[in-house]
Amino acid sequence: MTAPTKTAQLPNPADVPAPAGGPPPRSLVSRLASLAAGGGVRVILVVLAVVWLLPTAGLFASSFRDSRDIASTGWWEVLTDFDQLTWQNYDALINNDNFTSSIWTSVAITVPSTIAVVVLGALAAYAFAWLDFPGRDWCFLLVVALLVVPVQVALIPVARLFNSLGIFETTLGVVIFHTAFGLPFAVFLLRNFFAEIPRELLEAARLDGAGELRLFTRVVLPLGGPAIAALAIFQFMWVWNDMLVALIFSDSGSPPMTVALQQEMRQFGSNFDVLAPGAFLTMLIPLAIFFAFQRQFVSGVMAGAVK
Amino acid sequence: MHEPGRMSRRKGTRVAAAVIAAGALTLTACSDDGDATPSGRESTIELPDLSGQELEVSGVWTGAERDNFIRVLDEFEALTGASVSYVPSGDNVSQFVGTKIEGGSPPDIVFVPQPGVLHEFAENGWIAPVGDSVQEQLDANFTQGWQDLASHEGTQYGVYVKAANKSLVWYSATAFEYAGVEPPETWDEFVATAWTLWESGTTPLSVAGGDGWTLTDWFENIYLSQAGPEMYDRLVAHEIPWTDPSVADALTTLGEVFGESRLLENGTEGSLQTLFPDSVTQTFIDLTAPDAGMVFEADFVGAVITDSTDAVIGEDARVFPFPAVGSESPVVSAGDAAVAVAPDGEASEAQQAMLTFLASTDAARVWAGGGGFVSPNKSLEFEAYPNDVQRGIAEALIAAGDDFRFDLSDQTPAAFGGTTGQGMWRGLQDFLRNPEDIAGAQEYLESQAAEAYGE
Amino acid sequence: MASGKVAVIRARPWAAACFLLPALLLLGALVVYPIGYSIWRSLYDASGDSFVGLDNFQELFTNDAIRTALRNNLIWIVVAPTVATALGLVFAVLTERIRWATAFKLIVFMPMAISMLAAGIIFRLVYEQNPDRGLANAVMTTVHDTFAESSSWPDAQPRPGGSVEVQEDGSYVLLPPADANAPALLPLVAVPQPELADAEPAAVPESGNGEISGAVWMDFTRGGGGTPGAVDPEEKALAGITVEAVVDGEVIAEAETAEDGTFTLPAEADGAQLRLPSDNFTAPYNGAEWLGPNLITPAIIGSWVWMWAGFAMVLIAAGLASVPRETLEAARVDGANEWQVFRRITVPLLAPVLAVVMVTLMINVLKIFDLVYVIAPTSVQDEANVLALQLYLTSFGTDTHQGVGSAIAVFLLLLVVPVMIINVRRLRRENQR
Repeated sequence: MTAPTKTAQLPNPADVPAPAGGPPPRSLVSRLASLAAGGGVRVILVVLAVVWLLPTAGLFASSFRDSRDIASTGWWEVLTDFDQLTWQNYDALINNDNFTSSIWTSVAITVPSTIAVVVLGALAAYAFAWLDFPGRDWCFLLVVALLVVPVQVALIPVARLFNSLGIFETTLGVVIFHTAFGLPFAVFLLRNFFAEIPRELLEAARLDGAGELRLFTRVVLPLGGPAIAALAIFQFMWVWNDMLVALIFSDSGSPPMTVALQQEMRQFGSNFDVLAPGAFLTMLIPLAIFFAFQRQFVSGVMAGAVK
Repeated sequence: MHEPGRMSRRKGTRVAAAVIAAGALTLTACSDDGDATPSGRESTIELPDLSGQELEVSGVWTGAERDNFIRVLDEFEALTGASVSYVPSGDNVSQFVGTKIEGGSPPDIVFVPQPGVLHEFAENGWIAPVGDSVQEQLDANFTQGWQDLASHEGTQYGVYVKAANKSLVWYSATAFEYAGVEPPETWDEFVATAWTLWESGTTPLSVAGGDGWTLTDWFENIYLSQAGPEMYDRLVAHEIPWTDPSVADALTTLGEVFGESRLLENGTEGSLQTLFPDSVTQTFIDLTAPDAGMVFEADFVGAVITDSTDAVIGEDARVFPFPAVGSESPVVSAGDAAVAVAPDGEASEAQQAMLTFLASTDAARVWAGGGGFVSPNKSLEFEAYPNDVQRGIAEALIAAGDDFRFDLSDQTPAAFGGTTGQGMWRGLQDFLRNPEDIAGAQEYLESQAAEAYGE
Repeated sequence: MASGKVAVIRARPWAAACFLLPALLLLGALVVYPIGYSIWRSLYDASGDSFVGLDNFQELFTNDAIRTALRNNLIWIVVAPTVATALGLVFAVLTERIRWATAFKLIVFMPMAISMLAAGIIFRLVYEQNPDRGLANAVMTTVHDTFAESSSWPDAQPRPGGSVEVQEDGSYVLLPPADANAPALLPLVAVPQPELADAEPAAVPESGNGEISGAVWMDFTRGGGGTPGAVDPEEKALAGITVEAVVDGEVIAEAETAEDGTFTLPAEADGAQLRLPSDNFTAPYNGAEWLGPNLITPAIIGSWVWMWAGFAMVLIAAGLASVPRETLEAARVDGANEWQVFRRITVPLLAPVLAVVMVTLMINVLKIFDLVYVIAPTSVQDEANVLALQLYLTSFGTDTHQGVGSAIAVFLLLLVVPVMIINVRRLRRENQR
């Protein structure tokens, strides 16, 4: 119903139409839209776009206002009074060791777990796609079944497990957790992609005397580029934006950005001067990736949304 | 692991104080220049040479408040040669320490806000009794009452080095002047003042009903002043039930203001949605025509005022002691105790040295200079505080001697006195919503207490 | 698909093992084992020592907090995916032929890139109660005030126990009846200082010419010292207030206070009751209590829809692009109008896509945690509670019960089992093809 359907319809996940896709075909529905509403549709869309942008714009504007302004008036005041704009919130945040170190923790969690998921996922996916071994199909079905297991199921048991391994409340623990929960999707996505690699290519390489590892690194991985990119982006965003896992498993002394901000929240109301710029900084990298790699981003998010 | 919904009252303290210290730090940073020992005085204690030793200290403070505390640790490093690191413990100290002990690397010194948690630690054998040099400092600088708070079954386990005075009412000078009223001294005057403020067009009271802990502080002040310290202690120990007539009296008194929606900024329902920082800003953000005239809470209100408003403490924002309901004004306080974590039962030389230092006037002086801090150390000269209001709060605290009482809800089991959505927090929120039903509120409180005390 | 083919490599067993083991070990230890442990743990008490059977599951349906969480989860699962899918469908249809559709889709899809924490902070700002600060209420009050006028003295009230009394309908009446020989004084208080900025000083009404005269004013002297009930020199007039003379429930005369607060009623009002109708004092509209106990769940769902409507839109747009034009043309030729074509042909053809979107969104909503944790103020956390949050609250912190926590986890797992089975069966079918 979910992921398998999608990939069945769209074998190459990178082909899921991105918002940046080409001009859509003319259909009756759209003709209806233009006939019925004409210019009205445009107006509605502009209004909707504004509605969708305003909340983020509010955060952005608030992040440049000092706490007094935030406490007394709405962010829209800056539209008429540019003098309210100040860098001081960002200044304070950059000079806040807790926050700057949380940026590094976020990186230290996100980058390794993304690499680990791609590497381990690709290895397993290759095995499932092209290697023959007993129980292969059965084993792959199990992995597919794990796709939708909620992370909540693992919180208590893994907390105990990590405690006994001595990696509870460590960055390593968070990385391992995210890697494990990223794997079913990675294996599923890459295996379907690898399976579409023309058999002749592999056979030719095989005839040239390539071993499994060589075949994997020289033929499969390069061909898997688009899927791997989509997977990497999805996993990166997923881990970067995660709060729940980090809340429980990260080192409370040096948490990643999401948890550091969450700790700032406690008593809301008067500290938007910390939260607004902080939230905006956490959004910077995901937004940059989003705008730079729209295609891969959309296909990654689309395919991985089942998680 | 962090404690999510169970927001301890410490949080309020911390956020607030964290912000104030930011302002204070910029001031003290300048005065530090060229001053080897920040205090500039002779040390009153002798500390061992701890060169090469490492100490890890954990407290609830983050942000600027943490920076302020680190100055105290720097002084210790300078005096002993030890290398000290600070790790924020998160909101739930008990769980933090438990996890760290299980993981095998607990911090050496931990700050514990609630006496109840200190007892729990002592019973678990997680912390070690203080040594002779610490006791010496304690005897010299702290009253018996403050010492007793950090002891368990007659053994001294820690030092309450940081205090908060929770019996203060902050008011807008503009609102009082406009209405032509003076700070009240008794409860009746307080109620009359509230009504006069109301007539003048200023809503008299800003109540942070969204944060249950502020309501417990209202109740505690009234109860302490009305029923007296002995009854207060018995209620803490749950020797008398919450259905006791003395509790009914206190609630009736509280109902004189809570029962009048007109006296509450944003009305009864609005108050229940108001969080602590907002209760402060709505009183002091508008200096010409404040929305509310008075806001009750501890000294850390000053932090929010400094951070979020243009009000000048001592001029626009002033303080009077909580009015006397009975014969005496109440003094309710809270604080943080430093304890040495030692699962094997024996504190190291370095740990003892740190506790000795923290109990000394030297440490208190450095700490006080940073602002946002009040010390229960009676030997500390009041000049050490950076402004008059802070000084006044400290004077009131020291003057109370042992007549103060520690925050009641902090001394009860956390399930009763420190958890969102249940116990005292919920009971008093329900009371604020429906102040007529005193008996119902009492029954709820008693049933919750019975459960929490394991009876 | 691939598993149907003959594998190209007949691998040595250790080679396959090398490729597979790291992933399978991790999955086994961190995903499979926890499932088993959770099921086992859910049958034991808080300490984990004694077996309690299904008691923890019973707790799930009897504990008030958990039941609220269950109910909210149900609301979430029904409402959130439906609204997001419907919006996605509308967006997809509307943008189909617009040239700058790409820009629009980018904007709507963008929230998918940010964390739920950031989205939560964004919407805390949007939902702030005070219309001066919160965008939602600012918009609502602006719209409201365009259509409804607010009164000029919303805060004015009589002094308790004074000569003016509040009626049940919100109007104020002067207790002594009007008397042609004495001025009717209606003192009000509690008007905030800013509202009085432009008010004139109150004048003492003159009586004795047969008519009823009186005054409505703010009976409070700045800095105190005035006499209650008397017009003191510095006191301000309340202008523009409607005064009615009532006899036996009938309004016989009406007047409005002048700039100096005085009013005059004709002589026949002598002996009538003077009333200030409630619309003089209508409180200003302040918008909705988004973060209050009643609206908190809809408000959080709103923020979730903001994040996920773009997801639905993109998937549906993809489906829309593949709807065959011939079928639609044929229907048109048969005389169907555009709405019928949309209802009868396009939507049914899109049904598989819509189903995929709905199920995907439902799985996501089932585990909703961050948004609730971040947006709901602690005072309404109980009312906004959902299962994932309740699991976190019961399992971590002081006073925990990991048995109940595990029971919630198992319950969540049970809810996704159907999807799991569908996934597996579909895959097997494809492999057999």
